[in-house]
Order: sequence, then structure tokens, then C-alpha cells
Amino acid sequence: MSILNPDDSLERQNEKLLQISAALMRRVEQDTDRSGLAYVQFERAAALEEEVRARTQDLEHTLDLLHQSNSQLAEANAATERARADLTDAIETISEGFALFSPQDTLVLSNSRFCQHMRDVTQDLQPGLAFTDYVAKVSQSRFLALPVDQRPSDWAEKRLRRHRDKSVMFNVRLTQDRWLQVSEHRTGNGGTVILQTDITDIMRVERQERSRLIDRQARMVRATLDHLNQGVCIFDRHARLAGWNRRVSNLLSLPARRFQVGAGFSQILDRLPQDIQFEHGVSRSDLLAWVNRQSDRPPLSFEIRRGDSLTLSVFCQEMPEHGFVISFTDVTSERAAARALFEANELLEQRVLDRTLDLEDALAAAERANASKSRFVAAASHDLLQPLSAAKLYVSALNGPTRSELDREIIFKAESALASVEQIIDALLDISRLEAGKASFDVAPVPLMDVLTPLQSEMEPLARAKGLDFRIVSCSGIVETDAAFLRRILRNLISNAIRYTDQGRVLVGVRQKAHTLRVEVWDTGPGIAEADQDVIFQEFSRLNARASASEGMGLGLAIVERACARLGHPLGLWSEIGKGSGFFVSLPRANQTREQPTVEAPRSGEGILEQTGLIVLLVDNDLEFRRALGLLMERWGVSVLDVDDGESALELLEDIQICPDALLIDHHLDGDLTGVQLLKILQDRHPGLPAAIVSANRSSLLRQECQMADVPLLNKPIDPRQLTTFLAQAAEEAVGLQP
Amino acid sequence: MDGSCSPSDREAHKGTQPRTAEIKVCKETGIPDLRDGLGSTDLSLVCLFVSPLADFDHIARDASQAFAGATVVACTTAGEIGSGGYADGHVVAAAFPRQSFASTTLELAPLSNLDPQSQIERVIKARRQLAREAAHLENEFAFLLIDGLSMREDELTAMLASGLGSVPLFGGSAGDGNRYCATFLAHGEKVMQDAALLTIIRTSCPVRVFSLDHLIPTDQRMVVTKAAPQGRIVMEINAEPAAEEYARILGIDPDQLDQSTLAAHPIVVRVGERHHVRSIQRATDKNELVFLAAIDEGAVLSLARQTEMDRHLEREFTRLRQPHAPSLILACDCILRRVEADQRRISPRISGILADNRVIGFSTYGEQFRSMHVNQTMTGVAIYPPLDGVP
Repeated sequence: MSILNPDDSLERQNEKLLQISAALMRRVEQDTDRSGLAYVQFERAAALEEEVRARTQDLEHTLDLLHQSNSQLAEANAATERARADLTDAIETISEGFALFSPQDTLVLSNSRFCQHMRDVTQDLQPGLAFTDYVAKVSQSRFLALPVDQRPSDWAEKRLRRHRDKSVMFNVRLTQDRWLQVSEHRTGNGGTVILQTDITDIMRVERQERSRLIDRQARMVRATLDHLNQGVCIFDRHARLAGWNRRVSNLLSLPARRFQVGAGFSQILDRLPQDIQFEHGVSRSDLLAWVNRQSDRPPLSFEIRRGDSLTLSVFCQEMPEHGFVISFTDVTSERAAARALFEANELLEQRVLDRTLDLEDALAAAERANASKSRFVAAASHDLLQPLSAAKLYVSALNGPTRSELDREIIFKAESALASVEQIIDALLDISRLEAGKASFDVAPVPLMDVLTPLQSEMEPLARAKGLDFRIVSCSGIVETDAAFLRRILRNLISNAIRYTDQGRVLVGVRQKAHTLRVEVWDTGPGIAEADQDVIFQEFSRLNARASASEGMGLGLAIVERACARLGHPLGLWSEIGKGSGFFVSLPRANQTREQPTVEAPRSGEGILEQTGLIVLLVDNDLEFRRALGLLMERWGVSVLDVDDGESALELLEDIQICPDALLIDHHLDGDLTGVQLLKILQDRHPGLPAAIVSANRSSLLRQECQMADVPLLNKPIDPRQLTTFLAQAAEEAVGLQP
Repeated sequence: MDGSCSPSDREAHKGTQPRTAEIKVCKETGIPDLRDGLGSTDLSLVCLFVSPLADFDHIARDASQAFAGATVVACTTAGEIGSGGYADGHVVAAAFPRQSFASTTLELAPLSNLDPQSQIERVIKARRQLAREAAHLENEFAFLLIDGLSMREDELTAMLASGLGSVPLFGGSAGDGNRYCATFLAHGEKVMQDAALLTIIRTSCPVRVFSLDHLIPTDQRMVVTKAAPQGRIVMEINAEPAAEEYARILGIDPDQLDQSTLAAHPIVVRVGERHHVRSIQRATDKNELVFLAAIDEGAVLSLARQTEMDRHLEREFTRLRQPHAPSLILACDCILRRVEADQRRISPRISGILADNRVIGFSTYGEQFRSMHVNQTMTGVAIYPPLDGVP
């Protein structure tokens, strides 16, 4: 179908075409009013839809990115602002002055404390200020206190030089005695942080402290110096006097006004009194040379003397920083004392030497004399024995049945005299041998009774002749000794006792100890005064003047003493004037023969008793019973002192000063005393002494008496077991009392 | 349907996929039934396509209460598309769960007096806010409902295009059956005229916004020589009274220019390679033609030839089903297409195709696609199950 209606006239068609073309033209030109907008929009949308869509998409994407960037930028800006604000706040809070310079050395920011004491600088502290300008401004600030010889430009130059260092820290002095500590720190990107710390207070306090300290120290040094008993001078490195004490002017006799701070050393040296002498090899010039060395001076020590009245010890020592100190010590009295001591010592040594020489001479003389004496005695004795034997032979030849009674008596006396001479000579030989140390001992176990029994029979006649009661209490002990010398010792002691005892008795007993046996010789002689007790052991000393040739020449005890000393047998003496004497020789037990007695050994039986050396006093009027009981007990090793009545018992004990270890007393005695009475007397004298009453009387009266006296009663006939029990107890107590 | 509800969800993606329901407009049923049909899922958006037979105000009020917490947009229709295809006298609902959909709705009113710049800014701001709030839902499209008698569709779409940018827009003009008296929109319980509701939707589901028509332009052209653009009225074509000239070109009597004739002979405007349908609503007794889209003097109109609508539709949907079938197609279908289908007696066939392809929507007085307002097309969005949800 055509756009034109063919039925129309040409005019009409033409008209329509014109209208159509006009409408199309308007459309093409889009000459349309507001009302046609909708269709225009449709047209455009239709034409450009695709393109617009694509563009829009791109645009949107771009916008998105832009939005994103914008928001990021805004965030970044905000963060930067916040950071800057934080930084500003932060640097305001710090108490130091703070400034940050960029790597290009221009000021970035600073806080209000930065350069706050330099009011003429603060106004210029704006961001962008060059570091050099900053330094220049500071150097010219009227608040900067420069040293007198430094110009602002010098300071600025120095400051800029420091700025090139890696890390910087220095103090700056401001006017009004203010101090700043300035430090520079490089930041990671080459910028610079400057911190200014106000250290005014610190500096002031420090300065005060220091001056206070110096004052205090100076006072202390002053007091110390004055306290010293030494004189002290202190010189500085230029040898000028820096300090001294009062003592030094006293010691050197220099007026105190001569000591002035700064006085030169040589000046002071010149003023020293001329009579002062230098000693110990140091002269004035040496001292001056030491001082002039100025450094590395070794310590110098010498003495100076001023007559005899003053000696000073001088000690010079370098101090740090090349000053030196000289001290003076007054050693006058020490030197004087030392001199005196030295002199006294010399004198004494001379005297000791002299005396020693004298003594050596005397000793040599004495030794010579002694040796010649011994030789003489030995020779003389030996030589004397030959004619003496001859004389004895001649005298015995004289004797014969043809002689008259008078002759015979004379011959007997001559023989007796010769025998005495022989004894004396033997004794002298013994002594000389003992003294010369030539005597030889044959030490061996010796049963004591082997020695004592012969002596009993040998001495018995002598005692009987003098009317003395002589008794040897038997003992089974064995000792370690030289038998011959022991015999000689005991014979001498017994014969001495018999000789000097005019009446009474002589008793020989043995007291057993743990390791020793002590042979005791008791007499009732005149006794020996304490003063004489040493004398009696010397040769030829006799206390009683009535010595006769027949009774020896007092050599006996000398031999005893020397022999005991040589054999190592301790010799003891007890004596009392008017009462008597006792001599004791302690002999070591021969230990190979029997076991040592022990407390733990079996209690019963006789074995025990044998080792105790018990001494028992037996009092009984029946002689047979006494002998029998004595024999029994001696078999057990017990020493028995037997008497027949109470009075004799008391007398015996009185005489011999022996305390028995136990008492066995018969109740029925011949004298005035009953057994129990005697017991009481003895127990009063020797409390705790074990005792027993022996009786054949079985009356209850006696039993009661014994009970009251608290003493055991042994009925006759004696039961040996009862007796050993009693003796064992006694022995135990004896050992306990006399360990 | 007898008031019964017919949920048409697939079992898969229950809770994440759009749900639909519909009720027949009668006394016994109401919005609560519709709500029960949609299930208890937390919803972001509910679209109601309401038959003009219904009490629109009442429905809007009930719906805003029943779907409190969700945005409710509603419009009157020129016929509904329900689960069984073309329908009348129904309220059809499409609901979008919050889990996979987020939306924002802008009221654009009054359409007769809109300042383009401020509206564009509103749109941009709304888009940006939604993008911020639902950045995890990566797919985006815009759905426009507009008063079908406002005659402002061309202006509005052109304007919205600036604000929406790359967001694909589709929409439909609300209808009033075939009466052309009054169309209504509702946003919540607020009922509006001379207004549009722009809903921007973000979803985790892949979407495809489409527009289709089955017309081919012919060489038969006409030139509008006199028109009144405000009223979309063309007085003269080829310098002759419009209706007479149109009838002459069609070779029919001007008296025969009823709706079915008009539907059968669509007019398109060619722009370059493309053509855009400008449907004629009716012929006046002054031999004027009233269009359903903007028109002006000098416009060159081409007569278009129709292809077979059902086949064409089938073909288009087959394309939309690639590579996966959509779980829902929300469609705005021109009333003239339904008229044509009725005229050709292929409505049941079309309804079958629509039901098969899960199409929900309504018959419009005009369709909006991207920046243009057109007629005699079907435009819509195909919503696919999320990719990770596909077996």
C-alpha cells in the first residue's frame, strides 16, 4: 500500500506530500516543543541505548574507582591530619624542647618549649626555617651566654660542625645561669630531631653539691692534717706550697707565717735552719733534684737531724698530677732508745761471752778433776784391795787355838776392821763404776722373795743384836731389774734402817700397784729433817756423828741413789723427826710371767688375791692359829702383819706408818682391848678400812655387838671361802682407793 | 483454582529461591491464605499482582500486615499470569527470601511533576546503599511498576536510565482490565496513582533480564503529520485523518478498528537495525488514534507482521533455559499479546508454555525495558538457582 492514496487528486497528493515532508523535516530537525520531549527521549533511547549502556557502564566503573580513591584519599587525609594532630599533641606533652628538621635541613615542626628561653629566637621558629639560619639566630641571641673569648660566629661555626656528627649531645649556657642540654638524633629519612632539656636545676644542684663536697673534704683534710702527729707539706705540680699543718712548722722550727700558699719549695728549703743535717746519704741538693724532676719521682725517704735534740724521718712521695707531699716524723726518742738498746745489747753480749768462757774453763777443770778423782779412787781402791787381802790372810793366820782369849778378841776385831775396810772399798768401787757409767746391768725378771729371803736371814742377826723387831713381809711378786744391784740397794736401805734405829722395829713390805711393786723399808729411827733429806744421798754424809768404821762411811745411800737412777727405779722417802723414816723403791713388774690384774677378773678364789698385794693386819692371841691363818693367806699372795694383842697392833701401825688394806681381829685378846674396841680405834684412824671380827664365841651378844659396829663376824674355825670373799671385797676397795 | 493455593516451589533451593502463591479473588480467601501459601520463610520482598476485581486498598493493608518486615509492592493488572499461565480475578504473589534477596523500593511521585536530577540522585544513592548493605549478593536488577494511565513511562524510563546505569531494568504499566479507567500501585499499605515504584533487587541468584516480541517490520510505512504528544494522540497520518488512513493502509473499514484488529496489526518504529513496538490503544470517534507509547509528528511508523506467537515464545524460553532452567520468570506481558492469543485461540497453548517455564506476572498496559517504554512485548527477569546449588 502506497503512502499516498491513489484515489486522491494530484493536488491533494502534492499537498499531502508537502505536509508529510514538513512533518519529517520537523522531526529530523527535532523542532519540537516541550510536549514532544517524550518521543524525542524515546527516539534517543532507541538510537543510543546500546552505546549509552556501554558508556554508562564504563563511566560507572570509573566513578566507582573514583569514589573508592576519593574515600581512600579522604581517609588518608584524615589519618594524616590525625597523625599530625597526635604528633603535635605528643610533642607538646614532652617536657623537653623538641624540633624536627627535614632531610633538607629545614624546620618541620617544633613545640612551644623549643628555645623558650631565647625569646628573640622563638618568633623565627616557623616551618621552613633553614637549620643554618636557626643556628645563626641562636648564636646571636642575647640570651646565649658565650665564653668571653668566643664570638657568635665562632659558636655558630662550632655548632654547625657538630651538626655534621652522627649523634650530638652538648650543654649550652644561657644567661641568668640557665643551662640547656641539646641533643640531636637522626631520623630514618635523614632528618634531624633536636631535643633541648633544661638542666639548670641539675647543674645548680650539682654545682652546690660539688662545692659542698669540696668544702667538706677540705675541712676533713685540714682536720686530718692537723690531727697528724707528723708534719706534712703538700706541694702542687709547680712545686708551690698547697697545704701544710701546724706540726710541720713546729718540727722544722719555721715560723708559721713563712708558710704561705704558693711559696716555692726552694724558698722554703733555703729558710730551713742551717744546723739541720741531712742523713742517710741524701743531701739538700739531692732533694732539690728530686723535686725538680717534676714527674715520675720515686718515693724518697731519709732523715734529718738537728744536733742530738731532734731527728726527723722525712718521706717524700709524688701525688697524682705531679704534685708531691713531704711528711716529717719526729723519731728522736726512737733513735735515742734504739741507740741505747744497741749499746746495752753489745755490753750484755760481751758479758755473756766472758762468763761462758769462764764456765767452760770451770767445767773443763771440774771434769778433769772428777775424772782424775774417779781414776784415783778406782786405782786406789784396786791397789788397796791387794794389801788388804794379804792383811786378812795374815790376821787369819794369827788366829789359832794357841792364842789367848785376849789375843783372839784382838784378832777378831782386827779381822772385823779389815772386813769393814773391804766393804768400804767395795762401795767406793761401786760408786766410781756407777759414776763413770761403766757399771753393766743384767736386767731380768727377778722374784722379789729371791732377793728378800737371803736379806732376812742376813739382817736378822744385826737387828736382834740391837734388840730391834725386824720383819720382812713376804710377797710373791716378780720384778724386772738387775738382781745384784737390787740386793745391794735393799741391803743398804735395810742396814741403814737397822743402823740408825736404836729401838723399835724395822719392817720391809711390798705394796703392789698396777704396773709396779713398791718395796718399802720402814723404821722407827730418829727421822730425817726435811732440810737433810737431799744430803743423805751424798757420799760420806752421815747425819749422826757417831759413825764408825764398822758402820760404814755413809756410802750406802749414795750407792742406792745412783743405782736407782741408773736402773730407772724411782726412789722415794718419807720421814718425820722422832717417828721414823720410810724408803720406797718402785720396781716394774715383770710382765711376761702373769696377766695384769683386772677388775673384771673372776672374783672368787685365790687367784684374784695373788695380784692385789693385799696387806692384812691379823690380831689374835692364839699363836698357832695366827701362823696357820698367816700361812694360808700368804699362799694366796696376801701379806700378813700379825700381832698378838690390840696394844701391839696399834704400836706396830704407829711405828711403821703402814696402813693395812684389811683387818682381821679376834674378839678375845690378851690385853685390855677387845677386838671390837680395837676395831673402832683403827676405823676411827682409817675410816672405811675393811675389817672382820674373828671369834670362836658364838654368843648372840657378840653378834649384836658386831651388828652395831657394822662389821662382819667370821666364826672359828674359819671357812676359807668366807675369808676369800672378805679379802676379795677388801682388795676391790683397796684397788679402788689406790689405783 | 477455587481459592486454593498452589505453591510452585521446587524442592531444591527451598528457602533461597523465590516462592509464588496465588488466590482467587472471592469472599472466602484473603491475604492470610496467600501468606500460608508462601510459607514461613523470612522474606525481603513480596510482589502482588492484583486483579482489578479485588479491593486493592484492602489487599494492600492486609498484605503490609501479613508480610511485616518485608517490602510489599503491588499493582492492579489487565490480567494475571499465575502458576497455570493466563488468569483473571486472582491475586498472584511472588516472594523473595531475605537469605538470597535484598531490595530497596523508591516511590516516584507525582509522575507529572518530577525533577529529573534529584530523582536520578535518589536512584543512585539507593543503589549505592543497597550495594553496601548487600555486597555479598552479587547480581542486581531493577523492577519498575508504574501507573499504566500516567503516560509518563517514556520520560521516566529515560530518566531512570541515568540513575540505574548498568543495572538492567524491566517493568510493566499497571492495568485496569480492558477498561483503561484507573490503575493503582501500592507500597506497603500506601496506595498510589500517578506514581511509579522502582524496586532495586540484589540477589545471589543468577538473573537474566529479557524482552521479546514476535513482530517483523514490513516496508509499509506511514508518517505522522499531526499529533498531540501529551495525550499520545495521533490526529493525522500521511496528512489524512489517522484512523481513516490507518484503515486505508490495512485495507479495512475504519469502523472495524477494534482492539483485536489493533492487536493484530501492530505498528513499529525502526531505529537502525532495531524496531520498537508502538501499540495503538484505540481509535477515537474523531478518527484519531490513541497510542500506548510516546508519539510525535514526523514519526515514521512501519506496519509489522506477526510471526506465530506460541512458537516464538517457545523458542525464546528455550534460549532462556540455557544452560539451566530458571526457577522463576517474573514477567510483564502486554495486554495486546493476550488479546492476540485469545483472537488466535492459542491462549491455552501460551498458558501451557508460561506454566512450563514457571512464569509469574501480569498483563500490562505497556512494558519498560532498559531505558525504553515499549508495547506489545513480554519483558521480565529469569531467576536461576545459584550456581553452587546446581547439581
